[in-house]
Amino acid sequence: MNALAALPLATATPGWHDLVGLLPELIVAGGFLALMLLDLVVPPARRTWLAVFSGAVLVGALAVSVWGWYDAGSAGRSVFFGAFAYDRLAEFANCVILVTTLLTVAISPGYLNRRRLHHGEYYSLLMAATVGMMLLAGATSLMVIFLAIELLSISLYILSGFSRQEERSQEAAVKYLLLGSFASAFLLFGMALVYGETGHTQLAQIAAAMSRSLPVDPLLVGGIILMFVGLAFKVSAAPFHAWTPDVYQGAPTSVTTFMSVATKVAAFIVIIRLFDDAFASYYSRWSAVVIAVAILSMVVGNLAALTQNSIKRMLAYSGIAQAGYILIGVAVGVGTPLGVQGALYYLAAYAFTNLGAFAVVTVMSGRGEDLDSYDHLRGLWHRRPYVAAALAFFLLSLAGFPFTAGFIGKFLVFAAAIQAHNVALALWGIGTSAVSVFYYLRVTLIMFQRPKEDAPAYEWPRTGWAGSAVLLVTAAGTLVLGVFVVLVLTVASMAQAGTLPGT
Amino acid sequence: MSGFPWLTAILLLPAAGALVLQLIPGRAADLIKGVTVVVAAAEVVLVAIVVYGVATTSAIGGGPLPMHYVEQANWIPAIGASYHLGVDGVSAWILALNAGVFLLGALVVPRRSTERLKLFCGLMLLAEAATTGVLISLDLLLFYVFWEGMLIPLYFLLAFYGNENRGRATLKFVIYTVAGSLLMLLAILYLHFQALAGGHNTFDLEVLLQNPLPAQAGVPLPFTTIQTLSPAMFAFLAFALAFAIKLPIVPFHTWLPDLYESAPAPALVFFAGVVSKMGAYGFIRFGITLFSGPVHQLQPLLVALALLSILYGAMMALSQTDLKRIVAYASISHLGFIALGIFSLNQNGIDGAVIQILNHGIIIAGLFLVVDVVEARTGTRDIRELGGLQKRMPWLYVFFLVITLGALGLPGTNGFVGEVTIMLGAFQYFWLLAVLAGLGVLIAAWYMLRMHQGMMHGPVRAVTEKVHDLRFREGLVLAPLAVLIVLLGVYPHPVGDVTAQAVPGYVTLADASQSPVAIPTAVRYGAVP
Repeated sequence: MNALAALPLATATPGWHDLVGLLPELIVAGGFLALMLLDLVVPPARRTWLAVFSGAVLVGALAVSVWGWYDAGSAGRSVFFGAFAYDRLAEFANCVILVTTLLTVAISPGYLNRRRLHHGEYYSLLMAATVGMMLLAGATSLMVIFLAIELLSISLYILSGFSRQEERSQEAAVKYLLLGSFASAFLLFGMALVYGETGHTQLAQIAAAMSRSLPVDPLLVGGIILMFVGLAFKVSAAPFHAWTPDVYQGAPTSVTTFMSVATKVAAFIVIIRLFDDAFASYYSRWSAVVIAVAILSMVVGNLAALTQNSIKRMLAYSGIAQAGYILIGVAVGVGTPLGVQGALYYLAAYAFTNLGAFAVVTVMSGRGEDLDSYDHLRGLWHRRPYVAAALAFFLLSLAGFPFTAGFIGKFLVFAAAIQAHNVALALWGIGTSAVSVFYYLRVTLIMFQRPKEDAPAYEWPRTGWAGSAVLLVTAAGTLVLGVFVVLVLTVASMAQAGTLPGT
Repeated sequence: MSGFPWLTAILLLPAAGALVLQLIPGRAADLIKGVTVVVAAAEVVLVAIVVYGVATTSAIGGGPLPMHYVEQANWIPAIGASYHLGVDGVSAWILALNAGVFLLGALVVPRRSTERLKLFCGLMLLAEAATTGVLISLDLLLFYVFWEGMLIPLYFLLAFYGNENRGRATLKFVIYTVAGSLLMLLAILYLHFQALAGGHNTFDLEVLLQNPLPAQAGVPLPFTTIQTLSPAMFAFLAFALAFAIKLPIVPFHTWLPDLYESAPAPALVFFAGVVSKMGAYGFIRFGITLFSGPVHQLQPLLVALALLSILYGAMMALSQTDLKRIVAYASISHLGFIALGIFSLNQNGIDGAVIQILNHGIIIAGLFLVVDVVEARTGTRDIRELGGLQKRMPWLYVFFLVITLGALGLPGTNGFVGEVTIMLGAFQYFWLLAVLAGLGVLIAAWYMLRMHQGMMHGPVRAVTEKVHDLRFREGLVLAPLAVLIVLLGVYPHPVGDVTAQAVPGYVTLADASQSPVAIPTAVRYGAVP
């Protein structure tokens, strides 16, 4: 328990200290508003300037987040009367999300120009989604969690349908919207039950009420599990994954790049905050559900990925499987600090790796349509050796080979599972990892094959300096996280230790 | 030891070489190959210095396995993983084999006909760095990283280059090995958390050896009263599976013939010469030392599988007509000998296994090089279409004869030294084993001579009509192998002495039940031609 419960709620007004806690979010939100206005004055031919402006805003927010990491200190503090956490976990998530957005913005102009989708709203929507994610990562109140999820979801619904001329994109947007609303309903209903049973919306007070409400309250358990269902949808964990392949494939690739990574990071941060912290006293009641979802995600994701022949769909199923691996860390994170640390490490690793993999697909996309079938990749190694090598490296990382970030991520969550005496969970992870090697490596093989004689020749676009820079940064990140483990593991353990609300 | 980090140097040199290659324009094929050869040669020199150091100085460290050139630094302090390197009499000669065989591989890279030569050479160098890492790691996690990391360059080498079946064969190999080694990762984690429970937050081999696993009862199966194997047994099985697949021991060998058939020669020389030995090395360094209890319980099963590998490989080699497949199965048979020596768990057996790792690496590299030359000249590997090469290629005939005799274990060649030492060890464990293994040697003579005669003797055939003899450069590659086969056959002391100083530590750890019998040196090393 902490001092929050004692705060005089009614009389206080938010002060300067509260605003400092939201500074990165405020900067990005300001950027979002400014971009909407700038779009009116920037001529269509110069929309790349919007990307440059977005980049500047994001870099500013990133700098403030890094400063916030030190300013918040190891204890962190709560702002806006317990609605929002200004702690290291939130700043860690901010940094990952902001880097992700920054890299997405960097590859966007080239891609959007080729696809003739270069509209100014793209950047403002991207910023809005980013604000939603950052708010979600820091949210410690049920209301803020819900609002943040809606903010990011609505922005992403529009972005997935951004290619208005293309049916596939429209279908993706509608599918995402319908199923997303459904998931939000689950989440909201779960929140209602939790609020009804505990009488609080602030996580710290909910946690306090929960530890008082033992023996177990069945409605509360129901509420927790419904909330998990709603969030599992956002991280595309099986069996709530049905939307993922279609949306990832249908959405413009730069949008897929962004949402496959950043959404997952933000949603996992809130899952960690809720389940490994606030709901920790009910661990024995929810752990079985989380473990089952983790196993199902690993099995379904990896098996379904085997039969795909579009790299976007394959990466979508692989993302489902990766969500399962991260959930291992969440599932054992209550008794084992290594669990949450592993999940956080995995998130950072996944951010770089998956972003890199999708960035390759983005920069290799042709005019008018996305070239995402395996046939389009055939021969890439001969024509664009560095891009092919980068994609191969990201795929190896996703498969969990050493010297890549993916290996350390997997290693840490498996280690956490074993430390929590849940060897079976680790065995599921290992078995499905072995399966996954097949489909990841298959793509690298296809890239080295010569194109078939009768196949039409694909002219891959030039990578461009921005695309090259993004691939370089993500590949370097994947390598650094795979070799110099200490750096990020220390950060992850500090983020894990400095989590609000402490129960 | 001196302050210079020799082991880090031999680890990083090939990797740095691979990076340097990236700076060379892809068209400069001669330069690319030249740099690769120079790096490989420099690596041989560095490793020679290290081996000399191991041979001439006494080991440091009071641990159960005294090591040379020890380097230690933190790697992931939170979980106690460290960058701990060291080399001893067991790994020293395998390191030398690694560097030497790799240099041969680099020399035979066909620089004109290799697509994307820079990629090929870079991958070879990375593979060398990884195998070097496997051999010098004393931290289980670090070992695992190199063990699994070795697969990445090998995968690309074997999947991108070679004949048209390579994709399937390579994926089979990679999935096989990944499944095995991921289970080993679980076992490593188990060892770590057992040590953590005992107050040691570590992955360090030396610390783990000083705190052996407690003998535990089996775990009850859920919903029953049946007891399963003990956790230590499970952990050993996980390690053993990873090593047995890599070695390979029958019945985990099915990836090997297909892969060897499809692989390109330079990668194959390296793969057959060194990579398969990593399984044997793993058994010696980690398998029998960390799990002496389970090893002794399973010893009958393990030696039975080793024996099965010897006989099955030999019989299969006898029935093949493709040269590469003959050599592949012969390799399984010979690796079975190495496994037999290890699982005898006594001084002679392990001694012989280490010597045979070196010897077999030399022999198999030679065999595959010869097969490659013959295939390049005649366009076929079918023994039924070949014949009469003796008349057309007298120099090849001489080299191949020496290599053949080494492979069938003729006294006076290095193959005899290793095999006879292993058989002594097997005899000490159970006499019948040595008899049955002797049967394997008999069949070896049969299939090796069948291969030799099929290729070399008889009338000149259509495909062998116009072939020319070895070029100077090819002879230069084969000559050192032939010289080593004879030299180590008549004067094996340099190898045997270095090995013998380290092996007792392993035998003690494995807690061999029989005390080694003192055998006269002449008999032991088979110096009588």
